[in-house]
Amino acid sequence: MLITVLVGAFLTATLIRLAPGFDADVQQLDSRLSHETVEAWRAERAQNSNIVRFYFRYLGAALHGDFGQSQTLNRPVRQLIAERLPVTARLVGWGVLLGWTLALVLAFSVSLIRWVGFRWIAVVCAGALLCIPSAVLALAFVILRAPAFLAIALVVFPKIFSITRSFLEKSYELPHIVTARAKGISELRVLLWHVLPVSGGQLIALAGVSVSLALGASIPVEALCGIAGLGQLAWQAALGRDLPLLVTLTVVVTVVTLAANMTSDIVNESLKPRAA
Amino acid sequence: MMRRTPLIRLAIILLIAVSSLAQAGGELRFCLRSEPKTFNPLLVADDASETIRYLTGGVLIRVNRLTQAAEPELATSWKLSKDGRSITFTLRDKAFFSDGTPFTAEDVATTVRQMMDPQLHSPTGDAFRSGTGDVAVQVLAPNRVTITFPAGVAGLDRQFDQVAIMSAKSPKKEMAVLGPFYVADYKAGSYVLLRRNPNYWKKDTNGRQLPYLDGIRLDIQSNRDIEALRFRRGEIDLINSIDAEYYDRIGEASPALVRDAGPSLDSEQMWFNQVEKAPIPGYRIAWFRSRNFRRAVSEAINRDDLARVAFSSHAKPAMGPVSPANKIWFNAKLKPIAYNTASALQRLQKDGFRLDKGVLRDKDGHQVEFSIVTNSGNKYRERMATMIQQDLGKIGMKVNVVTLDFPSLIERMTESFNYEAALLGLTNVDLDPNAQMTVWLSSGDNHQWNPRQKSPETSWEAEIDRLMREQASAVDFPVRKAAFDRVQEIVADQAPFIYLVNKNALSAISTALQGEVPVVLRPQTYWNIERLTLKAEIAKTRQ
Repeated sequence: MLITVLVGAFLTATLIRLAPGFDADVQQLDSRLSHETVEAWRAERAQNSNIVRFYFRYLGAALHGDFGQSQTLNRPVRQLIAERLPVTARLVGWGVLLGWTLALVLAFSVSLIRWVGFRWIAVVCAGALLCIPSAVLALAFVILRAPAFLAIALVVFPKIFSITRSFLEKSYELPHIVTARAKGISELRVLLWHVLPVSGGQLIALAGVSVSLALGASIPVEALCGIAGLGQLAWQAALGRDLPLLVTLTVVVTVVTLAANMTSDIVNESLKPRAA
Repeated sequence: MMRRTPLIRLAIILLIAVSSLAQAGGELRFCLRSEPKTFNPLLVADDASETIRYLTGGVLIRVNRLTQAAEPELATSWKLSKDGRSITFTLRDKAFFSDGTPFTAEDVATTVRQMMDPQLHSPTGDAFRSGTGDVAVQVLAPNRVTITFPAGVAGLDRQFDQVAIMSAKSPKKEMAVLGPFYVADYKAGSYVLLRRNPNYWKKDTNGRQLPYLDGIRLDIQSNRDIEALRFRRGEIDLINSIDAEYYDRIGEASPALVRDAGPSLDSEQMWFNQVEKAPIPGYRIAWFRSRNFRRAVSEAINRDDLARVAFSSHAKPAMGPVSPANKIWFNAKLKPIAYNTASALQRLQKDGFRLDKGVLRDKDGHQVEFSIVTNSGNKYRERMATMIQQDLGKIGMKVNVVTLDFPSLIERMTESFNYEAALLGLTNVDLDPNAQMTVWLSSGDNHQWNPRQKSPETSWEAEIDRLMREQASAVDFPVRKAAFDRVQEIVADQAPFIYLVNKNALSAISTALQGEVPVVLRPQTYWNIERLTLKAEIAKTRQ
């Protein structure tokens, strides 16, 4: 995990450094500023131009809890992350929860109500949502004055629904489930006692992926809805080529994603039947 | 004394009338388009911080945005020395900072010393840097202070419009203010909340303490679509500067909600890269360095169409470096640049260019083709670039339009010089030409067509350098005006910048807001913030 975080942060730093306009600032065009002031800004930016030196200096300071100063917002990165992490955690948390609930309810309903029309309606709805970019969903929710976590939920929902439905369909084709249904066991009992134990592991593995999906969607959603979370911060940092902020955000997102995936794996492992 | 036009007189009468009827209270709401980078008034360099400085900062002298005249604020009077190096202020008695700390000459001295500290790199202080040496500040009495600069500062008194006085003694440092409001709360990324300064010194004609509003909520919202949507819903009360498209959209539904104050100080312009070492073919740099080539391009652009089509008629064709909105410095002798393709072709022929089956070629047979870079996401500039592409196509020039994000564009313009022509806007906040020294001096960082020259590469740039230095060191206004008028004439003749349009100052203002008199100078709609009021029924809901 540590190696992934370190490599991820270094790659991000390198990409930002190589991006055109890395050391440019729009305020350089302010004609009221003296040459000395512009040069002072340039010198400040130039401190980070050697990426290897920046990275090791950044890591050294990060070990002491100092993630540097944001170049665009002129505030300590640590403070910015601390203020905004809870906002994004709430947004993503509610979005993932609602997205999963919708997806599971619909996927199970499609399995239980074995009417083709209903299945097609569900598939078309999920497919349509899959085609809509998260930014458009965010804009729609701004216009409708609806909470932004609904947009996250609608980003998570179709993907979880499609995969869950696929897992369930494959499970229903297993011989012991076909036999159970042939014996006339109720559909609900088949689902709860035979299908879910088979598909459960795969669904838990999907939980980790859904967190990174929601985090990705949080960038346009927060930027458009004016929510002061990590997504909005990442957007501003990318536009301003804010190296310390972007590298720290990459570390945070990598840690959260890895933690979510590891938790899924651990839960999955603990639920597997053990040999006596 | 400046003579007041009937329009200004009417506006002043309206202001007084509204003042006498004013209902105090309520919270005004509008949006900042970015996060404020600082609350320290001496470090302000971005629009959002400038808004907060204007609303919270107390200044010695304020430039009236309506009359454009300098007026006393915290200084009841001031006296400039003959050489323009010194200014002596007599300060207002019984004025207090928002935290109750008394205002004295010591505060002015501390603010000026901090502002001029070379280590601070204060953008506000840059306007006062006139020569090498220290600034001397002498406190003559608790209400009198003299500031002496190493060399004369042109327009010295008006520069103090930007200097918000900070307390020398308050433990709250820059958060203790002398302006009508103080920062009560700030949630990064969400909002800045300002509350009425209970110690604000100013009163209206009826003796009622200003400001009338209880507070201001500034929501941080960078998305202009959402800002317009929130305005239409009544969630915010004004949009200080609105694009032509939103102006028309809001105006179609409710004409009373939009205001067009006429041409602003801002201009849209294009220029050619004349940097000799630029990584572009030498023959193209030779075209760009030709006065005839630049003038031909200028004449081949139909500015009326740009204003009409790209800005839906909410812009006026530009005549030169100074907008007619700048009543003090505009050179009235400059004439509009006529759209004339025949004249453009004649100029090109003088330099050996020829039209060959609709394709313009230089004297060596190179096809005239170049790219115009502009910033992506600005639909007005993209539209203008496309229209210029079509206009120049009529004289056989092939133009490619390239859009880049701002950091990439700035890097090309200021570091790599890897571009041929650029289309951008110039935002003018200050009326005085001294604020544009880095644009006009050939050694300047913002001398965009060929910046940071060791010595002027052309005779006309040398002449501009001389005139700009002359106006900067002169104390007498007529001398300064004559010098800067000549600069404007040289720029119009040489066309290093091809001025296209001056955008109109457009704003959207809710009918709930009273006392507003939109003007062309920034901040267009809330320049008289202390006298703005909300309708009683709205104010009641926003206590």
